[in-house]
Amino acid sequence: MQVQNKNSKPIALLLYTLLVISALAMLLPFVWMLSASLKLDKDVFTFPIQWIPANPRWENYSEIWTMIPLLTFIKNTAKLTIIVTFLQLLTSSFAAYAFAKLHFKGRDVLFLGYVATIAMPWQAYMVPQFLMMRSFHLNNTHLAIIFLQAFSAFGVFLMRQFYMSVPDELCEAARIDGMSEYGIYAKIMLPLSVPALSTLTIFTFVNTWNDFLGPLLYLTRTELKTIQIGLRMFIGQYSSEYGLIMAASVVALIPVVIVFLSLQRFFVQGVATAGLKG
Amino acid sequence: MKKVLTIVLVLSLLMGAVFANGTKEAAPAQAGVTTLKWALWDIASTTYYEPLITAYEAAHPDIKIEMLDLGSADFMTMLQTQLSGGDSSIDVVTIKDIPGYNNLVKRNLLLNLNDKIASEGVDLSLYGGTTDQISVDGKLYGIPFRSDFWLVYYNKDLFDKAGVAYPTNDMTFAQYDALARKMTSGMGADKVYGAHYHTWRSAVQLFGILDGKHTIVDGTYDFLKPYYEMVLGEQKDGIVQDYATLKTSSTHYSGVFYNNSVAMMNMGSWFIATLINQVAQGNTEVKNWGLVKYPHAEGVTPGTTLGTITSLGVSNASKKKDAAFDFVKFVTGPEGAQIVAKTGTIPAIKNEGVIQIIASKPGFPTDSASRDALQVAKTYLEMPLHEKSAEIEVVLNQVHDEIMTNNISIDAGIAKMNEQVQKILAK
Amino acid sequence: MPSKKSQLKKQLVAYSFIAPNFIGFAVFTMVPIIFAIALSFLHWDGSNPMSWAGVSNFVDLFDDDQFKASLKNTIVYSLGTVPLTLICSLFLAVILNQGIKARNFFRTVSFFPYVASLVAVAAVWNMIFNPSKGPVNMMLYKLGFSSVPGWAADKNWAMITIILFSVWKYMGYYMIIYLAGLQGINPELYEAANLDGTNVWQRFRFVTIPQLSATTFFVLVMLTIQCFKVYDIVYMVTQAGPGTATLVLVYDIYNKAFISWNLGSASAVAIVLFLLVLIVTLVQFNGEKRFTN
Repeated sequence: MQVQNKNSKPIALLLYTLLVISALAMLLPFVWMLSASLKLDKDVFTFPIQWIPANPRWENYSEIWTMIPLLTFIKNTAKLTIIVTFLQLLTSSFAAYAFAKLHFKGRDVLFLGYVATIAMPWQAYMVPQFLMMRSFHLNNTHLAIIFLQAFSAFGVFLMRQFYMSVPDELCEAARIDGMSEYGIYAKIMLPLSVPALSTLTIFTFVNTWNDFLGPLLYLTRTELKTIQIGLRMFIGQYSSEYGLIMAASVVALIPVVIVFLSLQRFFVQGVATAGLKG
Repeated sequence: MKKVLTIVLVLSLLMGAVFANGTKEAAPAQAGVTTLKWALWDIASTTYYEPLITAYEAAHPDIKIEMLDLGSADFMTMLQTQLSGGDSSIDVVTIKDIPGYNNLVKRNLLLNLNDKIASEGVDLSLYGGTTDQISVDGKLYGIPFRSDFWLVYYNKDLFDKAGVAYPTNDMTFAQYDALARKMTSGMGADKVYGAHYHTWRSAVQLFGILDGKHTIVDGTYDFLKPYYEMVLGEQKDGIVQDYATLKTSSTHYSGVFYNNSVAMMNMGSWFIATLINQVAQGNTEVKNWGLVKYPHAEGVTPGTTLGTITSLGVSNASKKKDAAFDFVKFVTGPEGAQIVAKTGTIPAIKNEGVIQIIASKPGFPTDSASRDALQVAKTYLEMPLHEKSAEIEVVLNQVHDEIMTNNISIDAGIAKMNEQVQKILAK
Repeated sequence: MPSKKSQLKKQLVAYSFIAPNFIGFAVFTMVPIIFAIALSFLHWDGSNPMSWAGVSNFVDLFDDDQFKASLKNTIVYSLGTVPLTLICSLFLAVILNQGIKARNFFRTVSFFPYVASLVAVAAVWNMIFNPSKGPVNMMLYKLGFSSVPGWAADKNWAMITIILFSVWKYMGYYMIIYLAGLQGINPELYEAANLDGTNVWQRFRFVTIPQLSATTFFVLVMLTIQCFKVYDIVYMVTQAGPGTATLVLVYDIYNKAFISWNLGSASAVAIVLFLLVLIVTLVQFNGEKRFTN
């Protein structure tokens, strides 16, 4: 897997070319967002695409803060996202340890049950869930969204799969040394699973940050609303202010990118020693 | 490990902080004041909510109206979910479309207003027959407060430039088609399309119901053929923009009209207020525009057009039904109509005074034809009240999409509509 | 032999690990899901009293054009999207796990289609693949193709368009999972393989792939589920059209639940979807067990 070899130069070149092309393809939507965010609505969907707006409309970026309470929405979303991500990481990695490394009655059935529920589309149980939440008086509270998002089966599943690849011998050795299961989880598994935890953090963060239908249904009071609902406020029935939508989208994207950039360095942990460099 | 611990610590502190202020509840309502919750959409971009509420609260100091914005895109879904299971937090309900109204009635979520209408002496004759069209077995569950209808918008500058006479308030479909063809010119960036059909089914298919001989829930759709032939012909000859392109590029009709690229466009009256505002703000290239009545089939009175009504109803689970009805009565009544009209929106009570208000709004075209275009002879609802209207609409939308993208021939498409809708009707 | 008491203690310890997540999960997700399953045997509009439907909600599906079209489309979509996304994301992850230049940049960029707003992503995609004016078809014309695909506007190409879009959007997402998985591989394995004089492909085939089996199982299951549950993408790119060419199961569920307020019927479709995914997952679960043992 070495690309620095002399005879693999053409391969490296080909690789880079492919990478650059796919990178361009992946960057397009972002570039389009940026360019649309500086346009009037009427120019957003014109053909051919005008990548650099003739008269950049920077006001879009100041207007979004006054037209809707964007700051409140960002605060709400940040609060929800941080709590959900934290709870998700904690409870999922905890449960996943049992599913991956402990033997107990009903393990496989319970696990399959977890995974199977991921398959149920939310649209199918949205109404019963809403009626239940409301009977708990959780309607119009942030707790509703937290409970909805924080205990997902997805996190358990993801973490279990990573723990599976940790050799059982490691845990056995620790048990012989007299370490409790909680100790093994905290001192061996958690440090080993930093890449997986980073992954889960990114996914949970993005999902909660971008969640739309849940907040729309549960949070109807303006002071509770989240940024995705805010974005939709620019999509009116008879006209859609795409310039503003995209300006707000760009603003909304920044935290996600920051989280991604700051966590992605954990993906190189194992490689630091030797990894695939061979 | 230390780092992780610090992060955990910081996070839990943050959590404590936000939880602490998150549990704070809104201040309890003042004593003696009844608060009514009104479910609606797009508070930020709708101009008539505030003046309506201000006027009502001024006259009724003991009532406070709270708005509940459920967004426009999923409004009926959100509303119906909120109302499910008998929740009493919503009092006044805005009803966006007829299939949704039908569902609300079927699901027993709306109050039958007949008794109140009788006891409070609401004059239904003011509503130009629209209340009859939404009565279910003689019972009325909502009173219209907005009544939009379809018109033809045209770009005066483009007509002047081409030296072609403006469209008139009395156009047959054949004349309209000929005019669209005459107005088409240019290539590339200079291309001017004679007409424009937005990608909604109602913009094309519903030409067919204007002769009053058929409805869209009949189960047989052969009468649509000439209209599909006209529109697909225009599409083939480059008179109108291609449906597939419009749809896949999510082109909004307003942009097309603003950019001086279409000469005529059929659209609902809700576009009047938006157009006036955008032109005034200088956001458009179009400067001079006009309105004329919808084209009509041979032998049909000019001014026959399509309509959509937005109504207000009272939630069956509301604990303040009397107060809620009083508010509904105000908004839908003559006073409310005045306020709505002042924002350039067409209220359901469309008397001479209301038309005068809209036509004299600064920015409204000054020619008399545009003013006359607001006079409607007969309105057919885009979707009539029918028990199966929601399911029928799903099928009609799908087949319309197939026909307009040339994925199915007109005849085969009509046969498919006939077959599938009849199946729904037979269930 | 461990005593019964210590056995019990072990079980309790295991349950204590699961409890925090499971309790929340059971109350807020499992209970409504069980309710939804029960609904499939009932007639309910979410408001009026429920009535018993027996299996009629399921029987009706046999004669339901919307359901039949959506079932077929969902299966076609999944068969196309799952393998393509899996291969692309694995390939991307392996490349971006190398010590190549600007690695962080490429990783971040790959994640963009997933995090960028769907409105923007779909708009860009539809413009690029616009049948009459899009750059893709322009290029095909210039390359001498006389007839070019209609992409989202052609019923034979719409599904392919959706599949390509999905692969593009989700590639970066699954790449992250694979990247994290790659960090878990013991470097000594590669060193040993290197000493044996293996080439790049052999190392990939005999070290990377087996070592990633748990990750691949996860990716496979999640991808399958995601594909069976596809909704947003279809809504943004084709609105299930042209006609019913890209109508998928969740779209049908949405229509049945929130257009017709036929919650029983919507639940019945959801159960069919659920069972399909369960079967696929069970097959994959058994495959994983055999593979890892």
